[in-house]
Amino acid sequence: MSAPGYPARPGAADMITFPSRPFSLTAPAGNIALVVIDMQRDFVEPGGFGAALGNDVTPLQNIIPAIAGLLAAFRAHGMTIIHTKEAHRPDLSDCPPTKRRRGLAEVGIGDEGPMGRILISGEPGNDIVPALYPADGETVIEKPGKGAFYATELGAVLDAAGITHLVFAGVTTEVCVQTTMREAADRGFETLIAEDATDSYFPAFKQAAIDMMIAQGGIVGCAASTDDIVTALDASGKTPREARPS
Amino acid sequence: MTDTDVPETEADAATGTYVPADPYPWPYNGELRPDNTALIVIDMQTDFCGEGGYVDAMGYDLSLTRAPIEPIKAVLTAMRAAGYCIIHTREGHRPDLADLPANKRWRSQRIGAGIGDPGPCGRILVRGEPGWEIIDELAPAPGEPVIDKPGKGSFYATDLDLLLRRRGVDNLIVAGITTDVCVHTTMRDANDRGYECLLLEDCCGATDRGNHDAAIKMVKMQGGVFGAVSNAADLVAALPK
Repeated sequence: MSAPGYPARPGAADMITFPSRPFSLTAPAGNIALVVIDMQRDFVEPGGFGAALGNDVTPLQNIIPAIAGLLAAFRAHGMTIIHTKEAHRPDLSDCPPTKRRRGLAEVGIGDEGPMGRILISGEPGNDIVPALYPADGETVIEKPGKGAFYATELGAVLDAAGITHLVFAGVTTEVCVQTTMREAADRGFETLIAEDATDSYFPAFKQAAIDMMIAQGGIVGCAASTDDIVTALDASGKTPREARPS
Repeated sequence: MTDTDVPETEADAATGTYVPADPYPWPYNGELRPDNTALIVIDMQTDFCGEGGYVDAMGYDLSLTRAPIEPIKAVLTAMRAAGYCIIHTREGHRPDLADLPANKRWRSQRIGAGIGDPGPCGRILVRGEPGWEIIDELAPAPGEPVIDKPGKGSFYATDLDLLLRRRGVDNLIVAGITTDVCVHTTMRDANDRGYECLLLEDCCGATDRGNHDAAIKMVKMQGGVFGAVSNAADLVAALPK
């Protein structure tokens, strides 16, 4: 952005090329944002709601280092970072009864869980895990649905920042990550999922979700490894020409 | 809309509940009840209508945006007592201005009221600042949802539509400031989404009287192109408990 009040970020014009599947993606650094979906204590930590439902949270724990690596790289390059949290208003006025009724557990949305009221904004379990905590200047979007665009400011924030390309990480791959990527694709964003920085309680669903997103020539988006994404960022600032596809 | 749709007599009206309004008795189908009708009070914030707020400090005639306060109070009292859904909105941006379009900021700076800059009641149009708060006279009651919106319209980039649909709201009664800007954008957006809208003329205000009058007139054209127009007293008198 060159408009008054928006100082250009360092390296904002550097072109970055991600070696992704099924095709590579190229964009200026200033137009790319990292979106970390729902890395919340209740979903990820052993004492949280997800675990209390009987899910094995180990796969979700295991992606924390990869996401931390993405955050470090995006921060180092001064690029835009967005975090999302699935959260409802304390009075549940934004929670459809259909959503509240679902689920097999005896405790549901709004009920007391192991770390405060389940999926309620401001409760300890609703917060982001300490290892991936948002830094100053990073936008946090609270969302009432699976998709991060529905009933939130995400679209407005991305428009204001001039973002065209979104790199996704977080949980769970087939639910909130995939819904948000589909919303983004319909809105004209290029999307890229960091394959080893996302996971699910159900390993088969993770793989199926990525397969269906990149099928048919990348019908929803592209996929790449965290290493490849970080390497692409690091290459851009030093040797931008070499980073471009020949 | 044809004349045959309008209840001309008390016998016709007995089949439903209507508020006297222009250009047609509202709502169109006579289905006016606490469980399907909400009041939305738009942007009655200190910076727009409070003494010592931004509009006041800029030297505008504060009486124009303060005129709706008493009528809105009367409507709030009646609708709260009858158990209607009440929603408040606040225009404001995140402290880091991440949700502020560059052109909106540029325009505000041109007139000496840069959004995010220091104003008479804290940073102008920034969430959490004193000037951004709803005025004490119309403070939300416990349990009444408040919608924080970055734009003029109350639906854009907010969860308003979700809240209304979740409560089964069909009819939306619109009040607040300013008539020609945030009130109109919200009413038009609500109308496009299928909500049956009623604008309360004396519960709105603008910084320019001509714009207020024109905005009211626009609603009533073409048989009520965005809905209908009434006032606080007529609504309160007709309101089913």
